Amino acid sequence: MIIKKLLIANRGEIVSRIIRTCRDLGIGSVAVYSEADRNSAFLKQADETYFIGPANPIKSYLNIDVLIEAGKKSGADAVHPGYGFLSENASFAEAVTSAGMTWVGPSAKVLKAVESKCYCRNIAEKVGVPVNPGTLDPVKGFDEIAEFARKHGYPIFLKLDRGGGGKGIEMIEDDHRIKEVFERISRIGHIAFNSSDCYIEKMLSRPRHIEVQFIGDRDGHYVCLGERECSIQRRHQKIIEESPSPVVTEGERQMIFDYTLRLASAMGYHGAGTMEFLRSEHGVYYFMEVNARLQVEHPVTELITGIDIVKNQLLIASGAQLAFTQEQVQRRGHAIEARVYAEDPLSFHPSPGIIRALRIPLDLDHIRIDHALAENETVPPFYDPLLAKTVAWGWTRPEAVNRLCLALQRFNIEGLKTTIPTNFFILKSRDFAEGHFNTGFVKEMFGDIR
Amino acid sequence: MEASINAHMPGLVARVVVAEGTRITVGQEVAVINCMKNELSVLSQYNGVVKKILVKEWDEMQVDHPMIIVEVN
Repeated sequence: MIIKKLLIANRGEIVSRIIRTCRDLGIGSVAVYSEADRNSAFLKQADETYFIGPANPIKSYLNIDVLIEAGKKSGADAVHPGYGFLSENASFAEAVTSAGMTWVGPSAKVLKAVESKCYCRNIAEKVGVPVNPGTLDPVKGFDEIAEFARKHGYPIFLKLDRGGGGKGIEMIEDDHRIKEVFERISRIGHIAFNSSDCYIEKMLSRPRHIEVQFIGDRDGHYVCLGERECSIQRRHQKIIEESPSPVVTEGERQMIFDYTLRLASAMGYHGAGTMEFLRSEHGVYYFMEVNARLQVEHPVTELITGIDIVKNQLLIASGAQLAFTQEQVQRRGHAIEARVYAEDPLSFHPSPGIIRALRIPLDLDHIRIDHALAENETVPPFYDPLLAKTVAWGWTRPEAVNRLCLALQRFNIEGLKTTIPTNFFILKSRDFAEGHFNTGFVKEMFGDIR
Repeated sequence: MEASINAHMPGLVARVVVAEGTRITVGQEVAVINCMKNELSVLSQYNGVVKKILVKEWDEMQVDHPMIIVEVN
């Protein structure tokens, strides 16, 4: 079965990104929009658009019923959820399938299971992939947390079993804060993720965030498309991503590819996904979680492999087998992405507003800019602050970094604050240039961020 | 004297953390606005008692939108 018309249940740059592949494959595209996005630029590229409700995402982009309705009205035969919103929501996947449409992503059953980080930790344990020391199952109360800390020492993380997007992670440094943190995180979990379950992870000293992009088909063939280094983060959300990582050796790479294949096949996963690992300063890898969707930073991998990940998602969803083997995947040169957020460049305070002037440097070689920006476009306060992704390719890391700096220098957005200067500052720093960094880099450079 | 505490950022009301009749002081968090998926505290500029709450969870806020009426002492 080949997809003919795809509904994209998302907003902003990722809609434009997915439409590009739709055009390449001759698939019709359907975009949806809330009241706040009535005049947004991402709609102009779609073949058809459907209004789905108020600005409040609960009533529009997170509203399964209206999205399914839009799918039926448009005659779409498949749904791509993008990232964020309902992209990893098993009920949405199920609703799409029940409505007779194809879900572009792993099955509802897999989504339901991997939503629980404890399930993933248990699977990893079973297939011999190391997980960060901590509890495999949700903790029952603060006694258990105190007991763990007595045995293993502080600091520890309390993490929501069903948290995500950087939410539901709290650090505990001493006994006094256990009760307060436990109660707060349980409350957040209950409100935001419909589950107050949380588990403990020992905090690693100066870890790096390394993840592996993989794709699998329904027949159990998997390929790894390379790792991405994503240690430059603020509020547990990524700012700069690159591939290859400046520290991962070929031996380490083969090991984390092997971990990834073991985990994906034990989960019965098909489609594109990412296994996230933490690498300790001693080079030990711990499995953290699986991102069961297309990721924001996927262009980095596309630039070094020449493989269109969205295209492969659509083909696999249509029932096709993977068209290439692991041996045929060639990773070439170095790619690096800087996310441009609508935020204050120093405090990372949100900065919604209207884009008064815009210059996007599209005339540079080996630069890809994924965005859905336009002059006089309103950047609403209701959604993610991501404005654009600037991605550079080079034969070497310094070449890619230089090209990225040049592109950022020529990227001009007026009317709101952006993190273009932040990116520039990081990329030009000596530690970054030398590859000496960990997930604490932004905090060390810019101080504590609320 | 009555005064109003207004939204300092646009976004959605995440929650109101005081009730009508609550005694509040300058600098106390009275509500939380979700702006671009960030939770930002709305702080009271007054000492007084909450007289009326004008907003509820998920209401859309523009800057300077009145949120809470305070009877100022």
